[in-house]
Amino acid sequence: MTIDAHPALPEFDYIRPATLVEASQFLVRYPDDARPFLGGTDVFVRMRDGLIKPKYLIDVKNLDGTNDLSFDPQKGLTIGAGVNMNRVIASPAVQTHYPLLAEACRSVASYQLRTRATIAGNICNASPAGDSIGACLVLDGVLDIHGVDGARQEALANFFKGPGKTTLKCGDIVTAIRFPLLPKGAAGAYLKLGRNKLSDLSIVGVTVWGYPDGKVASGYSFRIALASVAPVPLRAERAEAYLSEHTPEAEVFHEAARLAEAACSPIDDVRGSARYRKAMVRNLTRKGLEKAWEGISRQ
Amino acid sequence: MTTKKTFPHPIGENVPRVDAHEKVTGAALFADDIQFGPGLLFARIKRSPHPHALIKRIDVSKARSFPGVKAVVTGEDFPGFTGLYLQDRHIFCRERARYVGDPVAGVAAVTEDIAERALELIEVEYEPLPGVFDPEFGASPAAPLLHPDLGKYKVMNFIFPAPGTNISNHFKIRKGDAAGAWKDCAAIVERAYHIPHIQHVPIEPHVAIAKVDTHGKVTLWGSSQSPFAQRSLIATAMGISPADVQVIAPYVGGGFGCKAGLSMEALAVAIATQVRGRPVKLRLTREEEFYTAFVRQGLVSHFKMGCDKAGNLLAMENRFYWDGGAYTEYGVNITRASGYSSTGPYDVPNVSTDSFCVYTNHPVGGPMRGFGMPEMHAGLEQCISELAEKIGMDGMEFRKLNCVRTGDTIVTGMIMHPTGLSECLAKAAEAIGWGRKDPPSAPNKRRGKGIALMWKAPAMPPNAGSSAKVDLNEDGTVTVSVGGQELGQGSFTIAAQMAAGALGVPYKDVRVNGPLDTNTSPYEWQTVASRLTWSMGNAVVAAARDARKQIIDMVAEAWNENPDNLDIVDGSVISYKSEESIPLKNIVIYGIPKPNDQGWMGGPVVGRGNFMPGYVTGLDPETGQGPRAVVHYTTGAQAVEVEVDMDTGRVDVIRGVAAFDVGKAINPDMVRAQMEGGFVQGMSTALFEGLQLKEGVLQNSSFVDYRIATSSDAPQDIQTIIVEEAQDDGPWGARGIGEHALVPTVPAIANAIYDAIGLRPGAPPFTPEKIYLLMQEAGLVE
Amino acid sequence: MTIHRITLSINGSSEQVDVSSNLTLLQMLREKLALTGTKNGCMAGECGACTVMLNGEPVNSCMVLAVECDGAEVLTVEGLAKDSVLDPIQESIIDQGGVQCGFCTPGILISARALLDRKPNPSEDDIREALVGNLCRCTGYLRIIEAVQEASERQLQTASGD
Repeated sequence: MTIDAHPALPEFDYIRPATLVEASQFLVRYPDDARPFLGGTDVFVRMRDGLIKPKYLIDVKNLDGTNDLSFDPQKGLTIGAGVNMNRVIASPAVQTHYPLLAEACRSVASYQLRTRATIAGNICNASPAGDSIGACLVLDGVLDIHGVDGARQEALANFFKGPGKTTLKCGDIVTAIRFPLLPKGAAGAYLKLGRNKLSDLSIVGVTVWGYPDGKVASGYSFRIALASVAPVPLRAERAEAYLSEHTPEAEVFHEAARLAEAACSPIDDVRGSARYRKAMVRNLTRKGLEKAWEGISRQ
Repeated sequence: MTTKKTFPHPIGENVPRVDAHEKVTGAALFADDIQFGPGLLFARIKRSPHPHALIKRIDVSKARSFPGVKAVVTGEDFPGFTGLYLQDRHIFCRERARYVGDPVAGVAAVTEDIAERALELIEVEYEPLPGVFDPEFGASPAAPLLHPDLGKYKVMNFIFPAPGTNISNHFKIRKGDAAGAWKDCAAIVERAYHIPHIQHVPIEPHVAIAKVDTHGKVTLWGSSQSPFAQRSLIATAMGISPADVQVIAPYVGGGFGCKAGLSMEALAVAIATQVRGRPVKLRLTREEEFYTAFVRQGLVSHFKMGCDKAGNLLAMENRFYWDGGAYTEYGVNITRASGYSSTGPYDVPNVSTDSFCVYTNHPVGGPMRGFGMPEMHAGLEQCISELAEKIGMDGMEFRKLNCVRTGDTIVTGMIMHPTGLSECLAKAAEAIGWGRKDPPSAPNKRRGKGIALMWKAPAMPPNAGSSAKVDLNEDGTVTVSVGGQELGQGSFTIAAQMAAGALGVPYKDVRVNGPLDTNTSPYEWQTVASRLTWSMGNAVVAAARDARKQIIDMVAEAWNENPDNLDIVDGSVISYKSEESIPLKNIVIYGIPKPNDQGWMGGPVVGRGNFMPGYVTGLDPETGQGPRAVVHYTTGAQAVEVEVDMDTGRVDVIRGVAAFDVGKAINPDMVRAQMEGGFVQGMSTALFEGLQLKEGVLQNSSFVDYRIATSSDAPQDIQTIIVEEAQDDGPWGARGIGEHALVPTVPAIANAIYDAIGLRPGAPPFTPEKIYLLMQEAGLVE
Repeated sequence: MTIHRITLSINGSSEQVDVSSNLTLLQMLREKLALTGTKNGCMAGECGACTVMLNGEPVNSCMVLAVECDGAEVLTVEGLAKDSVLDPIQESIIDQGGVQCGFCTPGILISARALLDRKPNPSEDDIREALVGNLCRCTGYLRIIEAVQEASERQLQTASGD
């Protein structure tokens, strides 16, 4: 469809609440006309394209601790909603303990865009192509949400309902994403296929992550998340189950890759065909498993 | 013994650009940077959402009365036709819209936002009509007629429309007897290609500001490659004199042809007529830039070529169906230019070519870097490689045997002037390591090398002219005035170099007047066709020599010497005879005093010069034969090394080699910069680009889904080789390079892909998906 | 629509500007302050022609609201040279022939300057990655990459007192 993009942003009012409570209340008062934003890189584009027309944009950056990134050796990693992706990538704690997260963020767009882009924003935008979402899923990310009923937590596993649709309710503001401590010996990779070498949206994105796991038959647990090949970011559960039962080696990775291919339901669109995407899910899952396995074996 | 030619300083030197400093400090002005004050109005355009529709009714009343709106116009207000080679378009649609984006109405308001909102208040009733979305279909009798009045349009005498059809130009070559030659061919290749539309993607979108005063005089500021052509076309459309149209064109932030001729500027002027005395600014959004100004035409090309058992090309039969789009006022000449160069840079005795420009309900095709040559070579050079293989010859050897040489009778019957094409081929092949296959960088990759040749002549009317002026200043510095535009290619810099070289002053003492202003700049046909170095250059040299003559004659008289013994060197007039010297300062404005206080001689020195080729002849409309079809050809070769990723299909261009015969590199570093930039732009079109049109609707009208090469995609290395086989009438032997640098890149990459995986990719873009599915179909990958 | 009065530092100079909610930083610079060195190429955060430094980090100014910049420090291309002395990256891009039409140049210079600030000795891959959000259609990028390498060498030499 030819975009009837406007030359500039349409009119709206910019609201900067002082507290989370104030922000939530404002959103609830104007359920159809108010929208929260962090970096704005998705919201502004959609407004200029005429796809959304909020009367109020609520700046939820800089609220109550949302700008903090911290690592607790007992508890894990907390990334405030307002922390931009460049900060995540540059964080020594992330590089040391959650390198997959840095790798995923690094694949997003460009350095300039990552100064504004946030993981929380990526998640709330809920595009199946969201680059950081796969890593957040496989690393068991949990969202801290402030809503009209107060604070709550929500695991990412059931958070995504469709393209652009999440379980967030009116008045909800994501304030942070938390990651538990990761098992020893874990390694992963994010394989993103774009049209350019760097910077594109993903035509297909495969996140693979694994770790030694005495609780399963194969001795290793793997997690596989697929981007851009289903209405939501997808976990390839049958492939994961297969890998938990079969000792890691080339043929097993091949079969797991085929199972991942079978799990996805990509469409034909301007970026690529379903047929190509399915083949890429298969190939990139296999390569991702090889890479993850190489990382696990090195430790 | 060979004599080494010496060239005057700074010809052939890598002098720094005259515009670099202001561009790196942000001081350089582009059209949208010009300040107009609070009186400035903003325009927005209402465009047809249908590719083909009758306009039944337009109601602008609500828009007109919207607060802040100062004018609303439609096609009713502007009945005139406009067009460069064929006058087939109105400024705003009248009666029907012919492409998605066709301007139907325009609004001027006090802010851009108000103008934009007013568009929604304009009511248009359309009756959609069946559309034409393929040029072969469009050329057939079954297709609906998009321009029923084609026979009534004014047209230049070298364009041949077929009224009653959608064919707005049919160019023919009939040389020798192609039909009869096939039986003598030991190998024949026959292929068809669907080359997609692409867009120029200048980083600066189109922008125009127009003002019409109460007397009807027009002032137009804009990002323009062609201020003089715009002046002329606007004057014609409005029925006024060009002398009453002033076009001011500051630096252009990338043109590549899309800012040539007249496109969206006419809309700004038309709207401005309704708000006399106030400037009206119209800017295209990036989305509009992709499809509402000019795009590069799509092409359906059919090639048939054959050679004898020794590998000599015997015959070519070509059919080109150009997807010209809704209006082909400019595109008709691409049809012609590709026709008269349709053999590619090869010596072929028997040629039959039919090149058709076809109306479709697609965006308007216009000039883009290469003007038909990239689209044509994309298929032709793949066929050449295929034919070479069929006859059992190496691709490089086959090209060496058949490539055009000095003295050959080429496709139009013209005799080929001195050309270094063979040298370009040999050097490119050597530089890429032709014949040596290097191991791939990983087990899942395949490496390959490809080569392709090209040629192109400046495509322009036979009497396209240039002129220049050289003013001397009181301190001996020189100000050059030209009409050739600085698009980034370096035209202002070489104008300064050539003036310095021809006059005898240091380069640092030369200034170039800008921005271009048709009221004060000397005439230049257009900045297109890679013609400035040669044509504008000749005019600058003529102007500098004119000034030089005035100065020398004056000093000779003052010194009572023969002017032949005088010269200007390094900013001073010197006598080789008496060894006297006098600096230029003061005398070039104030003259020289006569002895004994008896008065003064001389006066302010103003040199003027022009250049217009006089030798281009017409071509027979049935055979396309004539003594001199074009002024000259720039020829060249590119070679590339690629790697194909067998897991994803991604093609990685590892390195490139470019070798072009530029006659004389006035500024070698800038010539190399053109070769590099052209290579990467060509590579971008090869790997990423294509306007995805579905039933006339563009699916990828933003950077999100129209991808171009980024810094991560540029190859590791591009080796540039300058070959200099002098052009007889070029300044110091120079000819152009701007377009040529991107012409052979698509087929060079295609041929390299074939070398890597044994499959010919056909039409670009060679996206990862295209290559992977090609390999999958062939059973090479799972 | 609300008008906000903001105060911020631009190229070291304090400015007070009244901005509507929907005015982008890019529009504010170009339309309210006549700082036209920063360019509008797409209004969508894709081309990088609008890149400026906001609190020391490069951003696409078309994707930042002016009102968000209250109290901020902004650096544009006009602020790179100090007292008419060009920044090393400006010198190098001229020397290497990395300027043609010049429209992408302001954004490129800011991205490159930011890279050298955080990585004084970048590898070629670092440079390509840092510039991937700045589209150039004229040069083919190689000379720009060489310019950043040369600027880094220049700076390191100056720093070591050569």
